[in-house]
Amino acid sequence: MRRTSKAIASILLALLALIFLSPIYIMLVNSFKTRAELYNNALALPESFSLQYFESAMKKMNFLTVLGNSTFVTVLTVIFVVILSSMTAWMLVRTDNKLSKLMFMAFISTMLIPFQTLMMPLMQVMDWIRTNLHIPMLNTHGGLIFMNVGFHASIAVFLYHGFIKSIPIALEEAATLDGCSKFGVFWRIVFPMLKTITITVAILDVISTWNDYLLPSLTLSDKGLRTIQLSTFYFFGEFTIVWNQAMAGLTLTIIPVVIFYAVAQKYIIKGIAEGAVK
Amino acid sequence: MKKTKKAFGFLATMVLIASLVACGGKTDNNSANSGADGSNTAAGTEKQAKISLFQSKVEIAGALEELANKYKEETGNEIDVWGSAGDSYITQLQAKMAANEGPTIFSIANGAEAEKFKSYYYDMSNEDYVKNIAPNMALEVDGKVVGVPTGVEGFGLVYNKSLVDPKDVTDLASFTKFMDSMKGQGINGLSLSQEAYFLIGHILNTPFAVQADPIDYIDKLNKGEVKMADTKEFQEFAKFMEVIRQDSVNPMEVTYDTQMGDFATGKTAMVHQGNWSYGMLADYDDLDIGMMPLPIAGNNKLSVDIPGGWVINNGAKPEEIKAANAFLNWLYNSETGKNTIINEFKFIPAMTNIEADGLDPLSQAVFEATKNGDTIPWANNYFPEGIIVNDLTPATAEFFLDAGMTGEQYLKNLDEAWARAAK
Amino acid sequence: MKRKDRLWFGLFTMPLFLIFTTVVIIPFIIGIAYSFISWDGIPANPKVFVGLDNYVTIFHDQRFFTSAGNTIKFTLLALISVNLLGLTFSLLVTSGLRTSKLARTLFFMPNLIGGLILGYIWKFIFTDAFKFLGGQTGLDGIFFNWLINPNFALYALVIVFTWQMAGYTMIIYIAGLQGIPDELLEAAKVDGASLWHRLTKITFPLLMPSFTICFFMTLSGAFKIYDVNLSLTNGGPVHSTEMFAMNIFNEIFGYGHYGIGQAKAILFFLIVALVTLTQVVITKKKEVQM
Repeated sequence: MRRTSKAIASILLALLALIFLSPIYIMLVNSFKTRAELYNNALALPESFSLQYFESAMKKMNFLTVLGNSTFVTVLTVIFVVILSSMTAWMLVRTDNKLSKLMFMAFISTMLIPFQTLMMPLMQVMDWIRTNLHIPMLNTHGGLIFMNVGFHASIAVFLYHGFIKSIPIALEEAATLDGCSKFGVFWRIVFPMLKTITITVAILDVISTWNDYLLPSLTLSDKGLRTIQLSTFYFFGEFTIVWNQAMAGLTLTIIPVVIFYAVAQKYIIKGIAEGAVK
Repeated sequence: MKKTKKAFGFLATMVLIASLVACGGKTDNNSANSGADGSNTAAGTEKQAKISLFQSKVEIAGALEELANKYKEETGNEIDVWGSAGDSYITQLQAKMAANEGPTIFSIANGAEAEKFKSYYYDMSNEDYVKNIAPNMALEVDGKVVGVPTGVEGFGLVYNKSLVDPKDVTDLASFTKFMDSMKGQGINGLSLSQEAYFLIGHILNTPFAVQADPIDYIDKLNKGEVKMADTKEFQEFAKFMEVIRQDSVNPMEVTYDTQMGDFATGKTAMVHQGNWSYGMLADYDDLDIGMMPLPIAGNNKLSVDIPGGWVINNGAKPEEIKAANAFLNWLYNSETGKNTIINEFKFIPAMTNIEADGLDPLSQAVFEATKNGDTIPWANNYFPEGIIVNDLTPATAEFFLDAGMTGEQYLKNLDEAWARAAK
Repeated sequence: MKRKDRLWFGLFTMPLFLIFTTVVIIPFIIGIAYSFISWDGIPANPKVFVGLDNYVTIFHDQRFFTSAGNTIKFTLLALISVNLLGLTFSLLVTSGLRTSKLARTLFFMPNLIGGLILGYIWKFIFTDAFKFLGGQTGLDGIFFNWLINPNFALYALVIVFTWQMAGYTMIIYIAGLQGIPDELLEAAKVDGASLWHRLTKITFPLLMPSFTICFFMTLSGAFKIYDVNLSLTNGGPVHSTEMFAMNIFNEIFGYGHYGIGQAKAILFFLIVALVTLTQVVITKKKEVQM
């Protein structure tokens, strides 16, 4: 009896998930259709499943190059975000003074600023750095990663901050008494306990970096530097979209992230801090 | 032990920062590329600095990259073609300019947009390629030629020849009769679509363009000295809009995609569109179509103008400006360049030295109107910045969503919207 | 000792804070300065100091207040629906059902589609699919094109935003749920506590940090919504869905009123910061320290 009801619940859950995915169905089927077919019925299955639009989209986007660029930018951004934010958040949680609170508030409150109002000053600041400090911030992957880290810092610090608070301080104190430096305490004791939230931060940050269009579009100009999102511009005219290639291109862009997510979520495991509680 | 740990911590942090900085590098667009050592290639052309080109028409992006390859093959010089989605071009251009990261050559729309960016234009008056620009087609600011037109574009009533005889649509009365009879047959007589320019931006051009001096009229409108509601051409325009609302599918339900789809499949007899829309019909069976004037207030001409032009960034280095001039010369004088403009970009040339042949039917209509002087200008280029999208479109949407609104009231709303935007 | 602590504090926080300052804080401060200046956004064109004129202008801008109202309404609705759905999803996929791994991936998928294209895809649903459903089921009071009805377009936007964000909050709720020791729930179960009791007395209180985070993320995401707004409704019909970020964007890049746009951003930032920080403080107080 219990088993059947569980099975039914499982099936219902799967069905719910499928309904939730119907917009993705629309994306998929229309990556096989001509403009005339799409006009005729955007919801129907395509007349033929030819991969020609995938091929032409890949060719136009210069797929392998942009995939490499996006991977490079995303991986480095996420590594820096995870390392720097977890360290910062830990210190902010464990330090109880005005400066620490002020910094935390600065991180949090700036999450409310629409990017559109920052972009012109941001470009001017980057130009200033390039002119005066001779660090090439614009039109380089390094500069983009730098800016990504800055923009993603808030959310990551916020996430880490919330979860570090629930980790008992006792272990850290014990380690300190054993002669561990702060650096050792953090990397040996604290960071391993943050595994669940680190994976969460990594997943969310991979997605926001991978999907970002606006910031890379402002900072990267050279064709050879384009990220995967930038390369989809070919399909977006001012008034119309080359639907089949755009949908095919979009499908291609999300496949790597879906794989990443499916793998990463396995590591969101239960009870990291549990053993430490008692 | 403690000391080493600390040192390590510090080191790790420095490495992080250093690697951030270090993985930048090499591609500093503005300072590199000084390879202009004057060595001559076989063709006798000078070796030029590498330049960049940024433009708004996504439709020609692929062809432009191809052209850059050919340019390199023929002359050995390099152009980096940048890309941008159609509706974010101007924002990106503005941001890149703010960061001194601007392109060498860029495209700019005629009118308010060209005015906005005018401090960046290199004066082309004395360049070779300017000499072949057709009369009155150059992009000029303060009496200087600053831009070469990309081409000519035109719009009007695009009609299906098997459903419409142009002789039946010549004034308000015949238009109304035509629309009624189409509705009786279950056909959409004239379809507009929800996108700002296709809903109001283009169709509103006609009552402006038929004024004795459109720019002067716009000026007076900005100052509040005249009102659309009191101008007879606009009163007739409003009547046209009433007929459209009454007899056709609500434009707010129609997108550019469905508009052209319905037209291609004979469900719509006419669309108010331009020669660019021909590309939307490519996937459908052949159609016999043409373009005719929108007969508001006795108008019998197509709205034809240059949508914009190529300009050279005066902030670029002298050797880059030189290279940009060399490229434009090549584009408008070499066989490869001319051929690409006609056959790949599918532009209607605005140059006297480029023959237009093999044009599609809509471009052909525009081209002939241009040759015969049967054109009215795009007055909407001189509207206040942003007004079409931000003010006129919502007012028009309201008109189409509210069947009870009179044409008079609609004009008053347009006047109000105008006053708000022109402040 | 004190000195050493300060040094460690600096070493741990300064790298990130410096980057953050360069990229976010300094541009923001420059932005504040621009709000007192009349400028069209073209570097070569003149910048004129106008004091508080830009702020005064805003108070006569009816459309700005409409958009602020839209944004607040949208945010409140989105806050409720996103978190309700995200929390439900997270509870479902951690309940150990056979399909929960699959569901976990599928629920999250919408988040992988960028905002612009998402809006375009949903446009098909509201125009084509709804028309089709309305025709088939006869329920054309529900299934019609919401996007061209000023009363419904905002709800359409809420639906799309929810569809996108629910998976995002789900991830955070899952991480929170994983931190709750099984023993507590098992013990309560043995003591005969109902599911509802276990949720409200154990799970939710222990989930407070996740609530804080998710509420804040939804709030800031909803306040800043732009991409979906642009591609789904473009602010229409008749400004009924013009959100705040779009209003600013139009002011800056549409009309070329850079200073006014910045002033709007600052003003709204102050209001929103006040509201959301209050919210953070309130939910934080309810958090249970372990």
